[in-house]
Amino acid sequence: MDFFSKFPVMDRVSLMEMRKGIDLAFREFSRAYGDGIEAFFDPLLFFLIRLEKLLLATPWPIILLVLGILAWLGSRSWKLVVGSIVAFMLIGYFGMWKDCMATVAIITVCTIMCITVGIPIGVIMARSSRVEKMMLPVLDMMQTIPSFVYLIPILMLLGIGKIPGLIAVCIYAVPPIIRLTNLGIREVDKETIEASTAFGATTFQKLKSVQIPLALPTIFAGVNQTIMMALAMVVIASMIGVKGLGVPILRAISNQYLALGLFNGLAIVALAIIFDRITQKYGQRMQKHRGQKK
Amino acid sequence: MKILKKLIISSLAIVGFLAFNINANAACGKLVIAEQNWASAELMANVDKIILEKGYGCTVELIPGATMPTFTSMDEKGEPDMNPEQWANAVYTPLKKAVSEKRLIIANKAPITGLGEGWWITPGTVEKIPEIKGMTAMEILEHPEWFPSKEDPSKGAFVGCPAGWGCQLANANLFRAFEMEKKGWVLIDPGSAAGLDGTISKAADSGSPWFGYYWNPTSMVGKYGLIPVDFGVKFHSRDNWDNCITLAEQDCADPKPTAWTKSEVNSIVTANFAETGGKDAIKYVKKRTYPGEVMNAMLVYMADNQAKGSDAAIEFLKQHEGVWGKWVSSSAKKAIKAGL
Repeated sequence: MDFFSKFPVMDRVSLMEMRKGIDLAFREFSRAYGDGIEAFFDPLLFFLIRLEKLLLATPWPIILLVLGILAWLGSRSWKLVVGSIVAFMLIGYFGMWKDCMATVAIITVCTIMCITVGIPIGVIMARSSRVEKMMLPVLDMMQTIPSFVYLIPILMLLGIGKIPGLIAVCIYAVPPIIRLTNLGIREVDKETIEASTAFGATTFQKLKSVQIPLALPTIFAGVNQTIMMALAMVVIASMIGVKGLGVPILRAISNQYLALGLFNGLAIVALAIIFDRITQKYGQRMQKHRGQKK
Repeated sequence: MKILKKLIISSLAIVGFLAFNINANAACGKLVIAEQNWASAELMANVDKIILEKGYGCTVELIPGATMPTFTSMDEKGEPDMNPEQWANAVYTPLKKAVSEKRLIIANKAPITGLGEGWWITPGTVEKIPEIKGMTAMEILEHPEWFPSKEDPSKGAFVGCPAGWGCQLANANLFRAFEMEKKGWVLIDPGSAAGLDGTISKAADSGSPWFGYYWNPTSMVGKYGLIPVDFGVKFHSRDNWDNCITLAEQDCADPKPTAWTKSEVNSIVTANFAETGGKDAIKYVKKRTYPGEVMNAMLVYMADNQAKGSDAAIEFLKQHEGVWGKWVSSSAKKAIKAGL
């Protein structure tokens, strides 16, 4: 009856050997290719450092001005422009300017990276149902696997710093843009595509001038979600040495500094709300634009 | 007659000695030892359990613990009877008081040698830069170019302590005290314990230089053979350390260069331990000193095999007889060996 009361388990020694084997294999992989992979990401690191330095070196009134202009271009709403400027001024006033700029830099680069990687994958997924079937479980995994789990191999491969942090954030943040690009393109009217085919459009022309423009509002919802999720990962990225608003939060957690944690947490919330409202308004305006054209 | 007398006396002495020995063993009653929640403390508690049980006939129960709760309970309630690895700096004042009031006894002032916090380099560093061998921190600080930072290769990277740890403040203040920024260094915040360990294992794996903060005894020090760096300056003063180096930056206006404070670890026992355990048990605890490298080797064994304290204790007793053999009487040694 032992069989039913005790789950048949792999014996302890071979289980340990297996774990050790996996660890060793990955260690060897990282020894062999770690430097190469690191070199591959060097341009990104360079860009990220430059951006952060630029943001830090620019006088704050100019940053506020640029922010206001971007907010206006995105949303065409005075309320939002004033709101974002006030929020940034509060962040600066409470001494979080430097950390906030570091966070803005990494979120910006992360969003750009997610868009350049995510949209092509989404397009391929939309064109081939087989790829879609393969990608969906991968995306599910990327979104649900606890981030600490993939921090370990990233640490072994790339050490600590901005690039590993960026990759960790992107793994978590890229799925929505892939999913929504796929969805958006699949949702484009069959008749519209038929019409463009009738006009003799090539596959690429169809994609470029019909499918993507019509899917743009959905894709934009994906971008918005990606930014939100990237911001949510800021604290975890700080655990592998990314500077920014996450660092004081970690400090606050281990020392139970309520106020410090609250201030920096709220700063992340403020950033999130600003980015969210601006991109959402922009997305809505794109949809309106499409409506008028119809 | 004389011979007979001698015989009687000597045989009496032998009987008496045996009786005393049996008494001593019988005298050892039930002891409770704290098994704190980190590897070296787990190992020590389990080794103590086996030695005291097999060698001295005590009955030992292990209960889980941690620095503060265990100390408070020992101080207030006299239970558990022993904490094999009490970090003394954390409980400095109350421990002093408890000792002077004879509630607690410091049975061993240094159960592990070579322990403490400080600055370390990896062996790969020495391989790459042979002249660094034997250099003090003061001398290494003149060469930031040996440790190029990934994000700004013109600066030297010094890996400090994760945000929120006590040592983070100390490292940040020492960074200022040694004027490291002016000398071309950046202080890297590894973010977490995993991050700190990650920088070391990555540097060790790729053979690139690494210079930063760590502490001993740990499996990392054992596994990668980290080399401690002498600070090149003396410990400045208690006042400098307690009222400046360990405080936040704004509370430490003028940090002075100093070596790291000595970490003190004791094995402390309650008054009850001395009574229940008898003289021999106390004598054993007094003699029980783990050489740092043996402790580190055991920690590596534990980490590699994901071993529990009880498994590691048996491994230790089997592999390092030369170490623990000196702690116990020869009869106890035999009994312990037979009991394994």
